[in-house]
Amino acid sequence: MNARRFMAWLPALAAALLLTACSGPSDQDGATLSVMGKKSDLNKSYMTSILEQYEQATGNELRVIAYEDAEYETSAERDFANGDAPDVFLHFHNADLDRFDADENFYYLNDESWVSDLTDSALAYCEDTDGNVMGLPFWENSVSGCYYNKTILDSLGMRPATTQAEFDMLCQTLTDIGYTPICWPADGCTWMFQFAMDPIFADDPALLERLNKNEITYADIPAVTDMVQWIADAAEKGWFGRDYMSIGWDEIGPVMSSGGAVMTFIWDTWFYTDFAADGAYAKEDFALMPVFMDTVDGGTYEGGNLNMMMVNKNSAHLEQALDFLAFCAAPEHYNKAFDGISTVNCFKGQTTNIQSQMVTDASVSIEANERVSTAASKIVGYSAEDVASALKSLLLGQTDVAGCVQMMDEYRIRQAGIQGAEGFPAPPDQSAGG
Amino acid sequence: MKRFRKFLPLILMAIVGAAVIVIGVVYFDFISQRIYEDSTGHLEEIYGQVNRSFGIFVEQNWGLLDSCDDCFALAEETDGAAIGEFIADKKDYWGFSEFYFLSHDGSCMTPSGEKSSMDLGEAWDLLIDRQEPIMTGQTLPGGKEVTVFAAPARPGTYKDFSFDAIAVSYTNADLAASLEVDAFSGQAKCFVIHNDGSVLLSTQTGGSVFGNYLTYLKAVSDMDAAGFEKMQSDWRGSVSGLVQCKLGDVSHCILYQPVGYQDYILLSVVPESAVSAGFLSVQQTTIGVLAVIFLLIGAMAVAPIILRTRQRSRMDRMELRYRERMFDVLSSSVDDIFLMLNAANHRVDYISPNIQRLLGIPVEEARKNIRVMEKCAVNYNVVIPKDELAAIPLNGNKYWECEYMHQSTGERRWYRMTVYHMSIQEVEKYIIVLSDRTVEQQMNQKLQEALDAAQSANEAKSNFLSNMSHDIRTPMNAIVGFSVLLEKDAGDPEKVREYTRKITASSHHLLSLINDVLDMSKIESGKTSLNVDRFSLPELLDELNIILLPQAKAKEQSLTTHVQGAPPEQIMGDKLRLNQILINLLSNAIKYTPEGGKIDFVVSELPAAAPQYVKLRFTVRDNGIGMSEDFQKTVFDPFSREISSVTNKIQGTGLGMAITKNLVDLMGGIIQVESQPGQGSTFTVELSFVLPEQDGSEDWFRQRIGRMLVADDEEDICLDVRKIMGDAGVDVSFVTDGAAAVESAVAAHSRGEDYHVILLDWKMPGVDGVEAARMIRQRVGESVPILVLTSYDWAEIEEEARRAGINAFVPKPFFASTFMQAIKPLFAEQSERHDAPAEGPAPGVMSGRLFLVAEDNEMNAEILTELLAMEGAGCEVAVNGRQAVDMFAASEPGHYDMILMDVQMPVMNGYEATREIRACGHPEARTIPIVAMTANTFAEDVRNALDAGMDGHLGKPVDMEAVRELVGRLLNRTPPREGGDAT
Repeated sequence: MNARRFMAWLPALAAALLLTACSGPSDQDGATLSVMGKKSDLNKSYMTSILEQYEQATGNELRVIAYEDAEYETSAERDFANGDAPDVFLHFHNADLDRFDADENFYYLNDESWVSDLTDSALAYCEDTDGNVMGLPFWENSVSGCYYNKTILDSLGMRPATTQAEFDMLCQTLTDIGYTPICWPADGCTWMFQFAMDPIFADDPALLERLNKNEITYADIPAVTDMVQWIADAAEKGWFGRDYMSIGWDEIGPVMSSGGAVMTFIWDTWFYTDFAADGAYAKEDFALMPVFMDTVDGGTYEGGNLNMMMVNKNSAHLEQALDFLAFCAAPEHYNKAFDGISTVNCFKGQTTNIQSQMVTDASVSIEANERVSTAASKIVGYSAEDVASALKSLLLGQTDVAGCVQMMDEYRIRQAGIQGAEGFPAPPDQSAGG
Repeated sequence: MKRFRKFLPLILMAIVGAAVIVIGVVYFDFISQRIYEDSTGHLEEIYGQVNRSFGIFVEQNWGLLDSCDDCFALAEETDGAAIGEFIADKKDYWGFSEFYFLSHDGSCMTPSGEKSSMDLGEAWDLLIDRQEPIMTGQTLPGGKEVTVFAAPARPGTYKDFSFDAIAVSYTNADLAASLEVDAFSGQAKCFVIHNDGSVLLSTQTGGSVFGNYLTYLKAVSDMDAAGFEKMQSDWRGSVSGLVQCKLGDVSHCILYQPVGYQDYILLSVVPESAVSAGFLSVQQTTIGVLAVIFLLIGAMAVAPIILRTRQRSRMDRMELRYRERMFDVLSSSVDDIFLMLNAANHRVDYISPNIQRLLGIPVEEARKNIRVMEKCAVNYNVVIPKDELAAIPLNGNKYWECEYMHQSTGERRWYRMTVYHMSIQEVEKYIIVLSDRTVEQQMNQKLQEALDAAQSANEAKSNFLSNMSHDIRTPMNAIVGFSVLLEKDAGDPEKVREYTRKITASSHHLLSLINDVLDMSKIESGKTSLNVDRFSLPELLDELNIILLPQAKAKEQSLTTHVQGAPPEQIMGDKLRLNQILINLLSNAIKYTPEGGKIDFVVSELPAAAPQYVKLRFTVRDNGIGMSEDFQKTVFDPFSREISSVTNKIQGTGLGMAITKNLVDLMGGIIQVESQPGQGSTFTVELSFVLPEQDGSEDWFRQRIGRMLVADDEEDICLDVRKIMGDAGVDVSFVTDGAAAVESAVAAHSRGEDYHVILLDWKMPGVDGVEAARMIRQRVGESVPILVLTSYDWAEIEEEARRAGINAFVPKPFFASTFMQAIKPLFAEQSERHDAPAEGPAPGVMSGRLFLVAEDNEMNAEILTELLAMEGAGCEVAVNGRQAVDMFAASEPGHYDMILMDVQMPVMNGYEATREIRACGHPEARTIPIVAMTANTFAEDVRNALDAGMDGHLGKPVDMEAVRELVGRLLNRTPPREGGDAT
């Protein structure tokens, strides 16, 4: 999702960053902090803005370590292993973070004053399973849900669903009268199902804990089978249309703007970054309702997946690093950085960003049904690509529902084994090598 | 008219059927219309009842609210527990979800004191301002949708909350349950809507997806504008109605009825199929029953006709089958074939089954397409010529003579095909009779062949007698003539030797003529058999070279033998006969190739049929006089010789090629000839031989020779050597000139890796083999054995070659066995330092031997005695087998060295005598060599001799070379006895 979600832009600023990174040690009082992140992440305008603000305001220089996206995880892991860990480390709160041994390397930020300024969903995202605040979320926030063509539904005298039964009824009614209810880009799009899986684990943390200890599998969780069954049924009933197996990321925009489908599962900022209104419908024609895939009756929204600034607890410049985060979390600084950026608030004091009207209109429903991103970030061994692969096999008729769930389990357990997660067997090729 | 009558019943039946269908359609259309009307009436009735029930429910709720109002008004303390209890009782009874006290400012409170607000919209004005009870929808915090029934109340206070109205709410899901009906297979949907289409309630399970059903209908139904206008007008005027329209692809009945309160309408949407499902079921059953009745009546009417027709048809078919069967049986016992074709399309109506037996064509195949007979036709490609058939007038006939070949057996048969063109039941047919003429034809052919054979035999006999007369008389004339001259010039030794030489030559020619005639006679009488034994191919080729090279050399011809590939050296076969075949071909080639000509003899291996066999091709190619095309056809016939100025000068019986052909046939092979006059001939013989078990020569090579160098300017020979020796485990390097051989040998020496053997071609361009050997010896030394590979007689260079350092010679073509024979002594010399025993028969092998000769013919015995004496050997003669047995039995051990046994003798023949000798108690009975010496020289004679216990066979007249060779072989293990002499 992230690869497509945010386009790299402002190469000029990247050049500026590079110049900054190559400059010599500071003559000022403060230490030179090292900030490590993906090149494309650090090229975001609000990131370059906050870094520039810091350097200008404090006179301290920052040593920016920007790795190419593809090699970021392995390069960063190597630096941590070699004792070259940065003072400030940028990373999403997902399964890949497990590589970096949070207990040993990252400072818990629970007592920082800016924590109270975080929105509930942003704070929930940044907390680990023990409630420790892992980092400062400094990123575009979004709400993922079921975005539907309000204009079409209004023209049909129909209204958005509030329950799973209504959603199914809506899909069937639309199908009966010749509409494709859902744009389901099965070819390479890997995020659709993680929204529906969030409530299974967010609403029952014990279930997540047992899954992550390898005490249970997806197959032991009826809701997972329900979700897979719903997807199979929906495809069978024609709710995804006929050509969904060949639709990928690039087709979502054209399909939705042309009215080729009435609904899709996406996030609000997509309408600002990737949706080209070159068809009959513009983003103003769309509205938001929860995602329904038979995992929770009232549906669900997924909160944003946020890049966090984390502090190296072993850093020689720990205090300066905490000061740097405090600087970033100051309203006057983040409001300047996010000025004009389309994002849902991460900070309660955020005022200069553009709030999506769709999100604003659905705020009551979002408040009632939003979950923090759980499946993708908290399930050990979760790989969106693996789940997509299993579901693709299902939709191609190569396996049945039980087989699909079994594949999801096998992929997850293997991946967890590769990561060396406790309780999971190492894959055969690794264990053989000692 | 006749045809019309024939089809009249069918026409009548079709008319009746059509009438029934039309009546049925009209009837069912009428029934359908009535059913639909009844069904919609049923729909209206059901939902009328639902609407009335809903109206009563609404009325009752307002009644409930009125009673509450009265109760509250009477209550002394409006915040007292009594009101709470009263409401709780009502809630239990009515099942509403909540009770509300409403204030004129829009706020509300539940009996438990929970305050909130309620937005009743326009209905609020009705309730507060116009003091009318209302029913409206409401979405509660949390998304739950309810329907609220509210009524004005006397102002009051409850728990300090001032209220002006009171209300009860029902969840829409509960309320919708009251609108549901069991009819229409659960496919009916029911809505309570405002007259603008907005939905208050829906019976859809789990909620509703419709906000405004009028909008939905406008978007998806096929109703036209007028229909919508009418329906909306009805809704606004609170008028009931029923419309039909399609929603998507499905036809629906939409029934609307005013609820009777405010602008609410009860809207029922039911698929048309569900509306009349029950009636349709009845209708379908009715249709089914009627159809069955009609079918039964029709069947009863038609059945007798069909039965009668079928019976008549069955009888016709049976009669036809009987006839066909009878005809099949009759035709199966004769060799004539019968066919009946439809004249219009030539389809087969009948074909006698004996076609399979007689021509090998399956009946079904012929029935499908009569053209399959063309595959059998020998002399008439178009079996049934359409044009010619068409030319046969009706009731006329025509015949052709045809020859067919059986598809499976290839047997030829002759037929007279007679075609009759006639009309059978107004259909024109061709009846074809193929009358078998095979017996007559074969008889005629046999008579012709017999006549030809008789003429040919007569001619052959004449030719034979003529040839024999000439061929026998010629040498006989020489023998008689020179014998006379010999007597006359007995005193002149020079002339005696000259005459004797000529008499000997003529005798040999006469002998070969007699041998050939006898051979041919034996072969033709089928009495020839093969004596299969293991023999060496290299030895055979060597012997051929020994015999034929001098002849070729005498005519200054080049005779080269090539072996292509690596055929096995040891094979099982009749070496004598193979020798005979190849000598015939090669001697003919020499004979019919002018001086200085070129003869190539090539032996090559062909793919064999099985692993235990080897197939060899022997090719004899010359550039001699060649043969005409006509003569090639008779070259293998007896006494055939091409007549030309050249051949007339060449002696021959004309039997050689016939014998060769017969021997090749006997050995299961093939012989072919290609030739052009003046350009030469190529004879090719292909024969298969059984492979014997391996002799272990590979091990010998593997143990002694690791590396060897071969030099020959013909790369193919180098490759052959490498293949042959490579199979034996030897690493063979090769070069194609002498200088390179020297270089390679020196390089190997300098590396300390001398070759174990070096094999050099004699004649190579540049540095030849002898020169190369000399250079190698100079630079490498004496340790490496060097052999020369040559297809020439090396006697002329032997001395020079040995001086140059060459150790031995290997004849071409290269064989592992001949190579081993040559190399073995060298390795023995190396290991035993000049102690190698000499092999092969020594000169004068017969000297000092004593032979027991059993020969009944006095003259032959005398000749043999003289010949043996000339070799320094002695003999004792027995005149029959009995005497020979006795003489041997009475002899001292070691007295005789060998017994030469004639076969055909009086008293006791040679076989019996041999058996008795072998069985007698003499100490040497089993070991004394016994050799048949007989004029019986065929293979079975040799085998009979060996079977009787003899050790060898010599043909008469006695060839002393052969005697010496055989005696040398049999006696070389025992030294000659001392003082042997003739007696």
